[in-house]
Amino acid sequence: MEVGVSRREFLRMAVGAALSACAGFGRPAWAQKRPVVLDFYTLFHSGDAAAMEMIVRKFNAEHRDVQINLLQGQWAEYYAQLFAAVGAGNAPHIGICHTSRVMDVYRALTPLEESRAGNLLEMARIRGSEYTRSVWDAGVYQGKRYLVPLDSHMWGLWYNKDLFRQAGLDPDRPPETREEFERACEAIRSRTGRMAFHPCEDALPRKVRRAWEILFWGQGGELLTPDGRRAAFNDERGLRALDYLVALSRRGWHQPGTDGFKLFAAGQVGMLLAGNWYLPTAKGSGVNFGFHYVPKFFDRPVTWGDSHNLVIPRQRPERTSNEVLVEAIRTIKWINENSHLWGIHGGHIPAYLPAQRSRELLESDSWRLALRKFSEMANRGWVHYPVIHPKAPQIHAAIEPAVQEAYNLRMSPREALARAEAEVNRVLAS
Amino acid sequence: MSWRARTVWDRVRAGAPAEASARVPSRGLRRLLRAGEVVLFLAPFAAFWLLFRLGPVLYGVGISLYRWDPLGDVQFVGVSNYLRLAADRRFWNALRNTLAFAALTVPGILALGVGLALTLFTYRGRPATRWVEAAFFFPYLLNVSVVGLVWRWLLDPDFGAVLLALRSLGLRPPVFLNEPAWALPSIAFATAWWLAGYRMVIFRAALEDIPEEIFDAAKVDGATGWRLLRSVLLPLLKPAALFALVLTGISGFIVFGQVLIMTAGGPGRASEVLALYLYRFGFEYLEMGQAAAVGVVIFALILSLTLLSFRWLGYGSAG
Repeated sequence: MEVGVSRREFLRMAVGAALSACAGFGRPAWAQKRPVVLDFYTLFHSGDAAAMEMIVRKFNAEHRDVQINLLQGQWAEYYAQLFAAVGAGNAPHIGICHTSRVMDVYRALTPLEESRAGNLLEMARIRGSEYTRSVWDAGVYQGKRYLVPLDSHMWGLWYNKDLFRQAGLDPDRPPETREEFERACEAIRSRTGRMAFHPCEDALPRKVRRAWEILFWGQGGELLTPDGRRAAFNDERGLRALDYLVALSRRGWHQPGTDGFKLFAAGQVGMLLAGNWYLPTAKGSGVNFGFHYVPKFFDRPVTWGDSHNLVIPRQRPERTSNEVLVEAIRTIKWINENSHLWGIHGGHIPAYLPAQRSRELLESDSWRLALRKFSEMANRGWVHYPVIHPKAPQIHAAIEPAVQEAYNLRMSPREALARAEAEVNRVLAS
Repeated sequence: MSWRARTVWDRVRAGAPAEASARVPSRGLRRLLRAGEVVLFLAPFAAFWLLFRLGPVLYGVGISLYRWDPLGDVQFVGVSNYLRLAADRRFWNALRNTLAFAALTVPGILALGVGLALTLFTYRGRPATRWVEAAFFFPYLLNVSVVGLVWRWLLDPDFGAVLLALRSLGLRPPVFLNEPAWALPSIAFATAWWLAGYRMVIFRAALEDIPEEIFDAAKVDGATGWRLLRSVLLPLLKPAALFALVLTGISGFIVFGQVLIMTAGGPGRASEVLALYLYRFGFEYLEMGQAAAVGVVIFALILSLTLLSFRWLGYGSAG
């Protein structure tokens, strides 16, 4: 790879700088065009925030007429703040929305194909064929498109190659079926004395729910009835999934309530189900790790996943002109075109196919270590989104305590699912 | 008296009756001016209080009567939000947890505060007392986030110093923050560690204010040890106790930060308190009306318990 700046590039930059300086002198100060400032509010933090900051810095360095003002915060309050900002008439020009939240957040967003400035997607040449199909299709609600996908993020199987070797397992052949998985668990437990498997990251309630959902969705189950009016998970599939999750502990392969993030980074667990955001931590831990698809526990391989999407929150005409809306969508396009950086530094899988296939990403360590297999899961349609419903947060909150109590071996799976079902139905009825 | 002084005095005395009669305002007018003066001085503070305290409270009560949407779709629903609370098992669980937390922390913090204050008072002449007092007070200077993170780390099931220490002693400690029975007591303990120092200072100041003569008189009457504490010191500490009780009661009922950071209301909902329940409905489920209703309930609880505290302890010290 060529290093540094070529003579031609240097001359081009030098001439460009000189011309810019001359142009500045040739016009009075009041005639200088001020750059359009786009407020971009995200819900990213730690590694994600650092990666997005890098991208925005690159944008601001490459553009003179448009500048991004980036503000990043915690995801838990992000949507409430977004609603408040839209209601108060000072919404950011660009925001982030999870695919799973479109159904209750759409009222705060601009429909991109029928904005007051026209079809913004056409203006920026944003075409669905250039995005991962399943991610793109999920960005429409009630016939209107609100979301431009940025990434896929999902869970996968991280494993410790050294522990595999100690257990007599091939470190380059991680398990893909339930039988292989159980054989690996037993080998790790009996021959290394370490925890064989951790199914749910740091074991927060929402992580335990996701682990159960992976097992449940793999049997073709869905949380709600098709009309979204009743819970549909308290059946033999839901019970089998929760029984299996609980059995992991009863067989001595897992200890509930422990933090898989820390244990894996400390070399104390053989296999971990965790998201792609774990990549920077895994790389920095010093553990000799590998990554693979989620095993096929039941009928078909499935993993939990969601997507970050770039959105334009609703703007007031008196504050935001049509020209600014156009600049916002062009900026969104630019971010997509550079989302290989989001993959390399943030550990996410770009939803924009040209970025996903860029040489820079394909040759990166991130791609080789993990992102390639994450990407394959996404393109194979193995990613299952969270329930998409206006009351999704409350539905999740109704399920999590009960599932967690079963996972902690303090409530039978049957009772847990019955409790969760009753509460979900109460939420849906209110 | 000199001639000059005499002349001045005569002049004053000669003119006094007439001038005095003309200058003295009527009693009614004087009272009115006085009232105006009081109003003038109180006006700035009253304005701020109305604007930033009473106004938001009433606004919150108002929101609790609506299905409130920041995007403008506001719908009056009367007491529907309160009826939903009454029917929500999760709300009653949060209320029970809040009461349990207050029951653990309020007596614990006050007892610890009084105990530390009495101990320091007993040894008040010694140089080391200052340093011990500073050490006990130090946790109060920490932000709630720091307290939550520190204790979450100390009680971590895998790497926590507390569990490692207990295990090294041959004990089998519970996984404090992931056991339903231990989660709330653990947070209460961390909270007591955090707040007791300030209460200690309150009680210490109150003890210092007790006149020495009272101690002398008590000794003459033969009161020592427990009798001195129960009959003399504790009654005299009543004003400080009232202040500390109200302060600690409020802290107990609006507990939020340490719960969110240490357990996020878990395991299950074993440590979900009212303030966290309010936070979830307001900022995660975007149901501001119901969140406001919870706020009103919390306000009513604190107000009623504060009034009960005043009734129980009275406004002044005994005797």
